[in-house]
Amino acid sequence: MGGLLAPQMILAAGILGVLGAGMAAFNPKFIKSLMVLAILGAFAIAFGARPGVGDALVSLDGIGFSWQLVFYAAALPLAFLMTAESEVAPALVLGSLLGLGLLAVSANLLMLFIGLELMSLPAYLLVARSRGGAKTAVEAAIKYFFAGGAAGGLYLLGLALYYFTQKTMSFAGAGSLGAEAGVALMGSAALFKVGAFPLHFWLPDVYEASDPELAGFLSTALKAGGILLLMRLAALSPAGPFARALPWFGAATMLFGAVLALRQERLQRLLAYSSMAHAGNIILGVGAWAALGATPGAAVAVFFYLAAYLFMNNGAFSFLKASGAKTRADLRGLGARSPKTASAFAVLLLALGGVPPTAGFLAKLLIFWEAFKAHLYAPLLLAALGALLALGYYLALLKDLYFEDAPAVEPQLEPGRGLAVLWTCAVPAAVLGVAPWILTYMSRLLAL
Amino acid sequence: MNHLSAIAIVIDLVLVLGLTGFFANANRLLGPHPVHEGDADIPFETGERPIDSAVDKMSVLYHRFAVLFVVFDVDLAFLMPWALCRGSLTGTLVVSMTVFTGLLFFMLAYFWRKGVLECR
Repeated sequence: MGGLLAPQMILAAGILGVLGAGMAAFNPKFIKSLMVLAILGAFAIAFGARPGVGDALVSLDGIGFSWQLVFYAAALPLAFLMTAESEVAPALVLGSLLGLGLLAVSANLLMLFIGLELMSLPAYLLVARSRGGAKTAVEAAIKYFFAGGAAGGLYLLGLALYYFTQKTMSFAGAGSLGAEAGVALMGSAALFKVGAFPLHFWLPDVYEASDPELAGFLSTALKAGGILLLMRLAALSPAGPFARALPWFGAATMLFGAVLALRQERLQRLLAYSSMAHAGNIILGVGAWAALGATPGAAVAVFFYLAAYLFMNNGAFSFLKASGAKTRADLRGLGARSPKTASAFAVLLLALGGVPPTAGFLAKLLIFWEAFKAHLYAPLLLAALGALLALGYYLALLKDLYFEDAPAVEPQLEPGRGLAVLWTCAVPAAVLGVAPWILTYMSRLLAL
Repeated sequence: MNHLSAIAIVIDLVLVLGLTGFFANANRLLGPHPVHEGDADIPFETGERPIDSAVDKMSVLYHRFAVLFVVFDVDLAFLMPWALCRGSLTGTLVVSMTVFTGLLFFMLAYFWRKGVLECR
């Protein structure tokens, strides 16, 4: 068991080390590199772990193994880009990651809850500390906190119902009405975390008020956590009413996010709605996965989408950091002024929009293929419509970059760090789409 | 549902309402009637007169101490079962509980060093 929890132990030791270094008033740069080291160490150990061991509370299966890699990799851009003048923010990031890591190895509904809370609580604080603790950030954090608290309450209600009928908290399936209702309640908590359509109201404000790199973390790592929770719950009763409603939730989320993103002027809000649209795609994938029987090996489509999305969205948010652009007007003429930054962003936009041959295209194709195989034609059609709409705003941003004249008064942007991270994200976002062997490799990992 | 069970439900309702009504008002019906005089109506009958209303704004700084108290108080509750079965502790249990207590001390040291415990 100790070997199974080794990445989590590394993260916990990292928290203690970071706090201790802060206590001894070490250089913030040293503290930050301590955090990066802890994340890299956790990633390396999680990569070397072999699924298939565990006990009643924690166990590592193929899904938990591959999701753990997504979590730790998705935290790296935040770890590199964040401004840390004290040890508090690094400790919070590591704490949130520890929760995600626990979520990945949970083999029990109560352990899932602990992971869920541990991943969320530091995230609220990180949002509140964004932009130097600005009023909008605190407001967003309070909204996030109450939405997350409601989700936690729903989860516990569902867990109580489930326990009442099944007399166990391990993954024991669901057949009776009470257990199905419990699964649906717990699942709505997961939908809250992912930001699915009727439960998304906190999402745009939170993503807009956060620092760009934090918004990238929230939209990739924490969203992957919510998706993992969703999959564990859907696998409890793959043919139950909750799992069967998932494709419709996905399609509605996709359409809603895409339509609202069309009207946004501020880039970070636009990306927030775009991340909602992507979450809709993934939920559709989870629904299709459940409809096909919820076997671990078939989760490749969802995993590939999350892996590609990790690069695409972290890259897009690190572009906001690197260029300092805030509104669409800031983008006009950027292609001529700083071609390096702009070209990387253009690649990411094409990937996010799902234009072949990028990773975004392959990811969407896989999800749609799964939905097709599961005979989910109506949600599939709606999601495809959403994908078309989404092209509308991604290509509009591309037009702003290259085909619009710069305004007479050049916008005064404050470029930040992040160019290296931007390119590190843009390259895989393009390459993953033309290298199918990566997928074969990953499916082998999942089938273990 | 037949008539008998309907009557049973009515009897049940009457009994429940009657009993709860009686118990809720028993004090007023049967008890002694107090005389309101002297210090009988002040919140704390300690002989001290309150200097202020209890419903008042407090400095938000006190909130910090309240939260810290709750954190350490809840953590100490975990020590309770450990202390109760101290006779049958295995080595792993002793070690894990020592690590846990060590973490508590670490947290206390951290808060102390950061000046959270200072009364400002």
